[in-house]
Amino acid sequence: MEVFEHLATGFMAAGSLENLMFCLIGVVLGTLIGVLPGIGPIPALAILLPITFGLDPLSSLIMLAGIYYGAQYGGSTTSILVNMPGEASSVVTCIEGHQMARKGRAGAALAIAALGSFFAGTIGTVFIAAFGPPLASIAQQFNSPDYFALMLLGLTMAIVLAHGSVLKAVAMVLIGLLLGLVGTDINTGLTRYTFGLSGLWEGIDFLPLVLGLFGIVEIIRNLENPPPPREAISTRMHDMWPTKKEFKEAYPAALRGTGLGSLLGILPGGGAVLASFASYTLEKKISKNPRKFGTGAVEGVAGPEAANNAAAQTSFIPLLTLGIPSNPIMAIMMGAMIIQGIQPGAAVMTTRPDLFWGMVASMWIGNLMLVVINLPMIGIWVKLLSVPYRLLYPAILLFCAIGVYSTSTEPFMMVLMIVFTLFGYVLFKLGCEPAPMVLGFILGPLMEENLRRSLVISRGDPMIFINRPISATLLVATLLMLCLIIFPQFRKTREEAFQEE
Amino acid sequence: MTAWPAPKGSQTVSHSRVFREETMVIKSPQDFGAGILFILFGAIGLYVGSDLTFGSARNMGPGYFPMIICGLIALIGLIVTVKSLAIEGPAIERIQLRPIVFILLAIAAFGILIAEIGAVISSILLIMFAAYARRDVKPVETVVFAVTTAAFVVIIFVYALGQPMPVWWGR
Repeated sequence: MEVFEHLATGFMAAGSLENLMFCLIGVVLGTLIGVLPGIGPIPALAILLPITFGLDPLSSLIMLAGIYYGAQYGGSTTSILVNMPGEASSVVTCIEGHQMARKGRAGAALAIAALGSFFAGTIGTVFIAAFGPPLASIAQQFNSPDYFALMLLGLTMAIVLAHGSVLKAVAMVLIGLLLGLVGTDINTGLTRYTFGLSGLWEGIDFLPLVLGLFGIVEIIRNLENPPPPREAISTRMHDMWPTKKEFKEAYPAALRGTGLGSLLGILPGGGAVLASFASYTLEKKISKNPRKFGTGAVEGVAGPEAANNAAAQTSFIPLLTLGIPSNPIMAIMMGAMIIQGIQPGAAVMTTRPDLFWGMVASMWIGNLMLVVINLPMIGIWVKLLSVPYRLLYPAILLFCAIGVYSTSTEPFMMVLMIVFTLFGYVLFKLGCEPAPMVLGFILGPLMEENLRRSLVISRGDPMIFINRPISATLLVATLLMLCLIIFPQFRKTREEAFQEE
Repeated sequence: MTAWPAPKGSQTVSHSRVFREETMVIKSPQDFGAGILFILFGAIGLYVGSDLTFGSARNMGPGYFPMIICGLIALIGLIVTVKSLAIEGPAIERIQLRPIVFILLAIAAFGILIAEIGAVISSILLIMFAAYARRDVKPVETVVFAVTTAAFVVIIFVYALGQPMPVWWGR
């Protein structure tokens, strides 16, 4: 079968000693940062992004993917042991996992989360291998109007899934789009919104933007509102193994979670967060005994953990086949790829098969490494929680600053980082979530270009978006999403879903 | 919004009184601020972008897409502002100057000094500045920690990852 041939190519590329090492480093560093309370995959990726720049493209992508999974894994550990979600996708793990931990089943909860995630990761990898190429050939039929409609749908989904006020999320996406347009207009060569600063001619640099908005603002937030003293629930290896009963409850949930997560990951706007919430709701709905949810239901750990990992994998599909990031995390991955000189899209698969398949293979390797390093080494990660924050944050800050300096010695980069820290701080005070903005930032130039091309083809007739079946379908989906936002009943469930935090 | 914490000390009393007076008009301070921010953003965008050619749908100029976006941002800003006058919402948390000032100072010092005095000393300075973003600084611990971390980070970035940057001054 062709799939296996491809995977073999991938394992050859990813299995080199060097790449295995970078995968391991990525996974370990990701876990290290992800375990720290309050730091989810987005800040973790941002903080660790610079260290991957010196590597060749495949190694750096392997390492970044490792960081992402590692951070997500680390986040689950913190959720279960300390009840402090690092990010939205661990919120549901917090609910049930921490309750299990309080009942003395911390080890079992960790094991279920780890094994569920590994299983989901394996299926997710197969999923990408099987569906990547056919989707890439569909992607080749995509034309400018379709791309534009797809991006519109993705941004709308990002708005639906953002926390808090819908209107503010819309504004954040729009501001992101505008910031993405800063720099030289590719069509006319004119500079736009550069305020006469030569440092902006090539656009706003990605690294100072994400580091300021996510890395440094996070530090300031934690300094202003110190998290309550964390009491990690201790765990020993010998209560690591789930009981037979727990296992029986866990595996069907993990199976469902994997399926749901794999599907939701592909959707525009989908990804780990959506998948874990959806899986939790599903488990609660179909359970014979919904009352036990909230008191440490095993299904409530296994399902969402499997779902978020599966979705984390499959959300690479739109990025790698269409070249469009479906959520803010993928936007950061795309930013990293562009810095490496790779324009993500269907072409990567044909021009650089080793890169595509190597990355896919490395995802599975990374997931395996995570199980191996997480379960036996759980004690070390827990120890890490006892490192006082007063030592952690200056080190993280130094890491950010050196990271920016190592990619460009221009003093202007530091200025940009300071500006975005201030901007992020203001947004935080005003209750605006910056994650949708990053998605807009990455998509801004792409959206403009595709809109321009579409309207050139149609000679200014907007009907082109409705006449093409693909774009029409995507636009209908976008409209449905908009209706969901406006429709009061759904709005209520959306608010309730986020209330659970 | 009814359960406002009991005031402690006279300063807090006057603070909460100001807050109550403001809420006579602005019901959701956070949203009000966000709305004004969006309006400003949109307005500046429209103003700065006004000399870019707008073009037409058939032949989009460099100003076409950004101007539409800025218009939308300003429009949403307007809606958010108006809504904040009508619907209750959270207050803006008090701004604490100490963390943000020291953190930004730390970055600025690092950015200005690294080219002059090298990565080791500017890293130490960054950590020292950053440490003062909290109260109750332990000076000895901070210095020891700063030196070790700076050494560690420089070894990783300069020697292990081969990033080009001056380690010491005078180069």
